[in-house]
Amino acid sequence: MKPSAILVAVLLALLTLPPAPAEARIKLITLPVRERVEVQLDHPDFTLVEEERVVPLVAGVNQVDFSWANTQIDPSTIIFRLVEDDDDPAEVNVLSVTYPPNENALVWQVASDRSASARVRISYLLGGLTKDFNYRAVAEHDESALTLSQYVRVRNFAGEAYADTEIFAGLGATFLKPIGVNQTKQMLVQRLADVPVTKTYTADLHRFGWLDAAQYKLRVPMHYRIDNTAENGLGNEALPAGKVRIFQRDAPGSDATTAFLGEDLADHTPVGNHADLFLGVAQDIVVKRTVEARKDDRVAGNLFHRRVTLKYEIENFKDTPVTLNLAEQIEPLRQELGLASNQPAEWALGDATTFPAGPLADETDQTVVTHSIDLPARSGDEAETVTVFLELVFRNQWN
Amino acid sequence: MPNTHRNKLLPCLIVFLGALGVLGGSTSAANNIDLSTVPDRDTVQLTIYNSEDLTLVRETRKVVFREGNNPLQFSWAGTLIDPTSVQLRFLSHADKLDVLDTTFPHDRPQELTWNVGSEHAGEATIEISYFTSGVTWSADYVVIADADESSAAVEGHVTVHNRSGEDYDDAQVRLVVGTINLVEQIAELARQQGKSFEQLRENEVQTLRPRAARMMLGRAEAASDLAPSAPAPKQIVKQGLSEYFIFTIEGTEDIPNQMRKRLPSFAADAVPLRVQYRYRPRQYGDRLARLYLMTNDAASDLGTSPLPDGQARVFRRKSADAPGLSFLARQSIRYIPVGEDFELDLGTDPDVGFELITKRIYRENVWLRLRGANVFRRVGQPGVAIDDRSTVAGWDQHAVIVRRVRNDTPRKIDVEIRQAVPGDATFISRLDATRFDNQTVVYGGTLEPGQRYDAMYEIVTRQGRNAKQSRVEIVAGDPGPRK
Repeated sequence: MKPSAILVAVLLALLTLPPAPAEARIKLITLPVRERVEVQLDHPDFTLVEEERVVPLVAGVNQVDFSWANTQIDPSTIIFRLVEDDDDPAEVNVLSVTYPPNENALVWQVASDRSASARVRISYLLGGLTKDFNYRAVAEHDESALTLSQYVRVRNFAGEAYADTEIFAGLGATFLKPIGVNQTKQMLVQRLADVPVTKTYTADLHRFGWLDAAQYKLRVPMHYRIDNTAENGLGNEALPAGKVRIFQRDAPGSDATTAFLGEDLADHTPVGNHADLFLGVAQDIVVKRTVEARKDDRVAGNLFHRRVTLKYEIENFKDTPVTLNLAEQIEPLRQELGLASNQPAEWALGDATTFPAGPLADETDQTVVTHSIDLPARSGDEAETVTVFLELVFRNQWN
Repeated sequence: MPNTHRNKLLPCLIVFLGALGVLGGSTSAANNIDLSTVPDRDTVQLTIYNSEDLTLVRETRKVVFREGNNPLQFSWAGTLIDPTSVQLRFLSHADKLDVLDTTFPHDRPQELTWNVGSEHAGEATIEISYFTSGVTWSADYVVIADADESSAAVEGHVTVHNRSGEDYDDAQVRLVVGTINLVEQIAELARQQGKSFEQLRENEVQTLRPRAARMMLGRAEAASDLAPSAPAPKQIVKQGLSEYFIFTIEGTEDIPNQMRKRLPSFAADAVPLRVQYRYRPRQYGDRLARLYLMTNDAASDLGTSPLPDGQARVFRRKSADAPGLSFLARQSIRYIPVGEDFELDLGTDPDVGFELITKRIYRENVWLRLRGANVFRRVGQPGVAIDDRSTVAGWDQHAVIVRRVRNDTPRKIDVEIRQAVPGDATFISRLDATRFDNQTVVYGGTLEPGQRYDAMYEIVTRQGRNAKQSRVEIVAGDPGPRK
């Protein structure tokens, strides 16, 4: 194994006050080994390493030398703490720290009231030792639930090998693993079975674009929606952002194999929120969007209510009924129709709107309006065309 | 390499033993054979004054004088000593010793020779003082909060960094905290030159600064020399003086050239702390910042001195019964006077959600200006016709907004939101909101673990000719359209 790049040495030749000149030719040093290492990856940007060593100290002043090479230790963050694991610990104090010029090293002058071994913990921030999360989601054949496996991947490009190390990724349990130089280690944090999942179909021109602009057909991406809630067996903590590889069982039953559906980058999902995992674009749901009407009603002077009616003609070629979400982004829509002004939109639904229910409250605000519509399954070779209208009134607008 | 004695002889005092210098003619070509002694430093004291990159060095040496003229050569090659600041003072037999003249040789810029006239034959103690640059100090802090974040261990440290070119062994070290205002001292020096402060040019002010600093520093009383009785961390004596503080490191320290040395300044085991989440975009940016709030006072086990500017590194114990830490933040803290509150900004907390959702915007009370006239009409007034060529001149814009805060931590959290509401505005809500200033509203509260709270409010901003003033008024009411 590559020798450690981080070294703690106690100089025994120079132990009592006053310190002898450092040029002393005859030196004896002890090299206390690491008894324990903890790597804390709970901070989003920094990695904290804590190592415990048992340091032999004599009565009087001791010099404890900490040096490192080819590692990215931040020297301003190094902390030396005594860990009291003894009923009658020696009285140990750090008198001063010196930083020799042009060296990656520091020297603690440590006073002890008697000769004894002291367990100390040396902590520092270390660059090059990073983590990320990734997931494997295996959906049941009927896409009603999935098994979610959460992994943490630790990459050690810090230039230092750590033997059995307690690694805390910021959630889940602590792992006890060795991690060598330039090694990447992936560990299973948790596996959650039977997580309910909803498959969604969404058409939203200004987020997902056209499938075929010449024919006014919208892209209809499909997502698995996972709610990070206790009812779903989740909800203990946020799901960190990470890549999700999505699979589906190709048949019911335990002996089914899995098919790869795709992968997506999931955002950080706090407790109570949901993650939408992109599965691809639905080919069997066709949504044609056209502008049915445009009209301005003068209120007075240059003040108008500007009306626009959008028409959606929707066909479901699947042999199962689906629910489609239709969303319009308000400001991009104003831009699209040449209705932008210096004032934010004051929008309302017009009477020509024909959705069977009102907008989805959780997905509608000043910036977006979302409706949901149930589409029947294809009957035979024919898909029923469902036509709905959305009238938006941009009130009290002037240019 | 702490105790290195190199052969650079910086700064060096030489006593000439020959006839050299008797007549003050030390450059005479006939005097090529010299004999001299080199008296060692007895004591040295450094007073480091960071804000001016200025350190006052006072060193004492014992010199044996003979009656008559005694040439003393002082040289400082390779150092950053200010040659105009070098002074010689006699600490013993001062009534019998006098500097007759001082010679600065033209060919050796970092050297001078004092010609001391003496009526005393024997040993005397002299003090040589001068200013040097290149010695600096900084403070830093390590804060380790308990697992339950009700208190924290706070350690202060000072680090002295010597890049002056000179080794200072066994030096008493004093650190000046704060930026000293030297105007009074400079004005006093100017008066001695028959000028007022206002008459001084900038370069004259800069010339007088070191002398003024010296005058200021000279008034500080030397802290007592305490010999360490046992190997224990040295105390740093904090001494208030006029408008600033001097920290004196107990005993003496070796501060070799190019060396950085860090010493503990204070340690408080259990400083009470309070956690608060604050939204103050002007202060912390557009985010909900998590803060540790503490006070530099005696009740907090602090308060013996101001806390100088410095880097703080903040950790939290992962549990009460294990030594493991989590790193939380690193930040600069500014000078904290005794008695003052201070805060550590830990950044955002991923377990506390904070969203701004604009639910809707609508306009009311729209006024139009009739074309070609200074006449205004309100839209919707019954029986009032408005010409089609009129233009909108004033309106009230209503924005219904939700601040959503979600507490996914296992603890109660205290949230304070301070937001600017510019213009002629009304803030309508059922929140217990107060006005921080003319344009700023404050509200907040406590969230239980797992709680999601939607703070809903409506901001009415009068625009165009409707705007009459620039202030926010807080009104208790339900947000949303009233018709």
